Amino acid sequence: MLILTSWLKEFVPFDCSVEKLAHDLTMAGLEVEAVHSAYSDIENAVAAKILEVTTVESSPGMKKCLLDTGSGRAEVVCGAPNVERGKIAVLARPGTTLPDGTVIKKTVIYGVESAGMLCSQAELALGDDAGGIMYLQDNAALGRPVAEILGLEDWIIEIGITPNRSDCLSIQGVAREVSAAYDLPRSVPFSQNDPTGGKGLSPDSVAITIEDPEFCGRYAGAVIRGVRPGPSPSWLVRRLASCGIRPINNIVDVTNYVLLELGQPLHAFDLERLRGGEIIVRTARKGEKIKTLDGKERNLEEGMLAICDAVGPVAVAGVMGGAESEVTAGTSEILLESAWFHPSQIRRTARKLKLSTEASYRFERGVDPENCVNAMLRAASLIQQAAGGTLEAWRDECPGKFTRPVIEVRPERACSLIGAEIPRDKIIKYLQGIDIEVTENDGNIEATVPLFRPDITAEIDIVEEIARLHGFDSVPTTWPVASIIAPELDSSRALESKIKASLVASGMIEIISYSFTSPSDIEALGLPAHDPRLRMVRLKNPLSEEQSVMRTSLIPPLLRAVSRNHARRNLDLRLFELGTTFIDQGAEKLPHEETRVAALVTGKRMPRNWAWDQAQSDIFDIKGVLEALTESLGIRAEFVSCTASDASRDTYYLAGTSLMLKADDITLGSIGQITPAVLKKYEISAPVFLFDLSLEALSRTATGHKQYMRLAKYPAVELDIAIILRDEVRGQQILSFINSNRPDFLERAEIFDVYCGKPIASGFKSIAVRFIYRAPDRTLTDEQVNSIHQPLVDMLLKEFNAKLRA
Amino acid sequence: MLDRLETIRKEALDAINKAKDSSREAIEALRVRFTGRKGELTNILKSIGSLPPDQRPKVGQLANRYKNEIETAIKEALEKFDQKNSEETCIAGLDPTLPGRRLPYGRLHPVTQVMDEICAIFSRMGFSVAQGPEVELDFYNFEALNIPPDHPARDMQDTFYIDDKVLLRTHTSPIQIRTMEKLEPPLRIIAPGKVYRCDSDVTHTPMFHQVEGLMVDTRVSFADLKGILTHFIHQIFSDRTGVRFRPSFFPFTEPSAEVDIQCVICGGSGCRVCSHTGWLEVLGAGLVNPAVFRHVGYDTERFSGFAFGLGIERITMLKYGIDDLRLFFDNDLRFLTQF
Repeated sequence: MLILTSWLKEFVPFDCSVEKLAHDLTMAGLEVEAVHSAYSDIENAVAAKILEVTTVESSPGMKKCLLDTGSGRAEVVCGAPNVERGKIAVLARPGTTLPDGTVIKKTVIYGVESAGMLCSQAELALGDDAGGIMYLQDNAALGRPVAEILGLEDWIIEIGITPNRSDCLSIQGVAREVSAAYDLPRSVPFSQNDPTGGKGLSPDSVAITIEDPEFCGRYAGAVIRGVRPGPSPSWLVRRLASCGIRPINNIVDVTNYVLLELGQPLHAFDLERLRGGEIIVRTARKGEKIKTLDGKERNLEEGMLAICDAVGPVAVAGVMGGAESEVTAGTSEILLESAWFHPSQIRRTARKLKLSTEASYRFERGVDPENCVNAMLRAASLIQQAAGGTLEAWRDECPGKFTRPVIEVRPERACSLIGAEIPRDKIIKYLQGIDIEVTENDGNIEATVPLFRPDITAEIDIVEEIARLHGFDSVPTTWPVASIIAPELDSSRALESKIKASLVASGMIEIISYSFTSPSDIEALGLPAHDPRLRMVRLKNPLSEEQSVMRTSLIPPLLRAVSRNHARRNLDLRLFELGTTFIDQGAEKLPHEETRVAALVTGKRMPRNWAWDQAQSDIFDIKGVLEALTESLGIRAEFVSCTASDASRDTYYLAGTSLMLKADDITLGSIGQITPAVLKKYEISAPVFLFDLSLEALSRTATGHKQYMRLAKYPAVELDIAIILRDEVRGQQILSFINSNRPDFLERAEIFDVYCGKPIASGFKSIAVRFIYRAPDRTLTDEQVNSIHQPLVDMLLKEFNAKLRA
Repeated sequence: MLDRLETIRKEALDAINKAKDSSREAIEALRVRFTGRKGELTNILKSIGSLPPDQRPKVGQLANRYKNEIETAIKEALEKFDQKNSEETCIAGLDPTLPGRRLPYGRLHPVTQVMDEICAIFSRMGFSVAQGPEVELDFYNFEALNIPPDHPARDMQDTFYIDDKVLLRTHTSPIQIRTMEKLEPPLRIIAPGKVYRCDSDVTHTPMFHQVEGLMVDTRVSFADLKGILTHFIHQIFSDRTGVRFRPSFFPFTEPSAEVDIQCVICGGSGCRVCSHTGWLEVLGAGLVNPAVFRHVGYDTERFSGFAFGLGIERITMLKYGIDDLRLFFDNDLRFLTQF
């Protein structure tokens, strides 16, 4: 809402600076978003001295003027009769939008590059003289804005009005707040005297029928005959221009003026173009159409409220008038409409038509039904002033039952909720200051709320007003007195923290991606048709196709992050993301939300450094991260080779690289190297190694339990062997075999080297295993160890058809 | 002859002093020069026999004393030199100014870091953490929060819809309702999470993070809300950060407030970040509207409460001076490794 301070002053005589006013309004709940000069629309209209005038040969009426603009010379072509050498005129520079909407451009006219336009008073809405260009006094400072030279000072305050405060969508409403804040009297700058006492003027001659009183609670109409549509007086144009509204003609301008002043949307019909000369307010019928003022043909749906004449719709009620009955230069009789429509009815219609106007904005939020007639009479009087004509008749149809709510308020309850001691008389004064009538009743207060405050319907609403007017700054800042509640440990969040801590300790960097992605990014994984990850939740109104479905896996966003980083030459990446994935469960059901964690490494293993070689990372880098993670969570997990069905599901892993991670038959997730085919779709050219786990599965297996093992007192005996066996034997098979045949005193066996190549025959490899033997209560002798070790080695060789490496 | 002895002594001691840091060989050479077999002092001792007998004892005594003195000085110089230059105390050729070997160093996303910090501050005040679904029913996101269909307050939040009844939550406030449906008062919760709005430009991302807070007890007042939030702001920014509460509107709280902090960039004098107002809006808050309590069956006379919500990216931007919101979800390593 734009508020012009000079206009505001007509309603309340404040005299503080505009900065202070802005601050105080903000602290009263009317947030001032900006303050700027009321003449900022013509801040590029500056004083310029006419140095020379020459006639344009090809067009005798036009003159070429050489100007001194203070900062240099400029030329313009001007057709005004009063151009005179030596005088100081007003030059609107290119970029200026004149109040009538004309945009000044740098153009070439008659071969002259014109640096703008010399303006008349009327063109700048600084006066009514349109006969020639305006002149400034001889000592005017060249190059300075015209408003500054004329000493015009006025401000526009831009206020962000919250949806509950429809009462502040007018000068009058904001004036009420200013008077409450500063305890100032209010005045109305026009006569509110209705000589008919509300009865109307020849009401029977105005034909208004309300067929739908629920949606149209009040409809007042005034007939003015003999109007002469034309340009508005400059004072009116100036105010509208300052408030960002373009003038149309003196009748429409007045309706806009009163809308800004009093908050009541008005509409003027050309009465002679209303068929049957009557108004019928009813819901639209199937198939009815209307061409609205913006020139668009619109289909009305059944249930939308329409203003109709005897034949059909002439306006979309509360939203926009129709083009057919619009006031034009030829109009001589008008019907002025001032009505109250039901807020949600207007909102539904405006949303369906995707049409938001100054009128619909106010009706949606609620206008004051008691203000309809007043605003209509104000407009009628201004129209007669600006466009002539005579108010011949008016009528007020009010089928709606509007009663001011009476709310019982307990002052002590208000104080205890606010947490401040506010004396009773102050409370009463606050409420009266915003036109709430107060009567005292048995210690409580009965508040009668005016209808311009539809937001106040209950005691708590009054409490809010008391707190607001008392000032939030004046409310003390206290610690609550509260019951002790032992905060319940949120186990899922605790698990998430542990996982993140372990990954960070392994040198992984957390990313956060958008939860929505493009379907093609998910499809790029090449999942089989039945995979649940293809059951995507689709947004009805996505911002773009790239963000049109909810992610069903963390792999696409992680690969996207790799791709984006690669594009910026960040090639060595260790990334993880922990977040929600969404699987569609069909209509009527919320999607299945599953929290997952996925991590990847790609590029160099170690940060670039002068001191070591730059080896590329491989599957074992990400596997080590995963091993440390399960260990930190206390999960006894094991890696299992993928079965055929695993492999057919996780098609994005390169065959032979992937493993499943399981604990007690629960699948925790998978790990592997992404196929080049998938990487290609993400434009990634380096190998990527990744794991992807379910938090739900981790939480079922993460015991978090850790058992201390007493430290060994006696030394261990370590025996190393190297065996040569077939290539296809997996390391894990060897370790599992040793573990399942574990003899006494074998503490641990570990693979410490793997070698293929000469002199080992192709198809074979050498694996070196270290056996660590230890007794808890004594030092083992070599003989004792050998007697255990040798049979184990023999069994191992037999099992895998291996031989010892010489 | 005695003068000669004095001169040799002085020369020797000076030479030792000069040579003591140069090299072992230089010091050894002095031994040869002064006290070696053909050394200057040795030569004098050898020539004593040619002196007059009355001078012999005095010159001999003095020459021997000086010889000892010089030999001791050489020995000490050698010891000191060895000590200083031994392998145990020095490695020749090391350049410790070269960069250190850094292992891969992991980090949490700045949003996570600030979210954890916020949760920790409220945990210390007895708030427990609650969570809720990101794809939410219209009922929890709007209706139960006193935002009926066709209410203009729905304009305050541009909503992503899945269908007519299901949407991406536009704020973390539905968690309030879900928690109150499950638990009886008194309660104190905070609910961090992702929220979604269909708005994307320089100052808006379609996804961001919020933390919602809710406290319900028998005597909770607006003054208490001020107390808790002022403490929070002092913790997350600094004790000296100015805080102001000004009236605003949220359908689910009443009275409603927006909480501004003194601009952390300019300290309140006005800059581009605070639009020259000196203040930055960081929180929305208010007393829980009784209409919301009625939705979950709480006794509105017995209990009162407050709720608040804040955007984590905004707080993070202010804490670290980040000037582009979109960096948060771009996941550029150069950004992520700064925090």
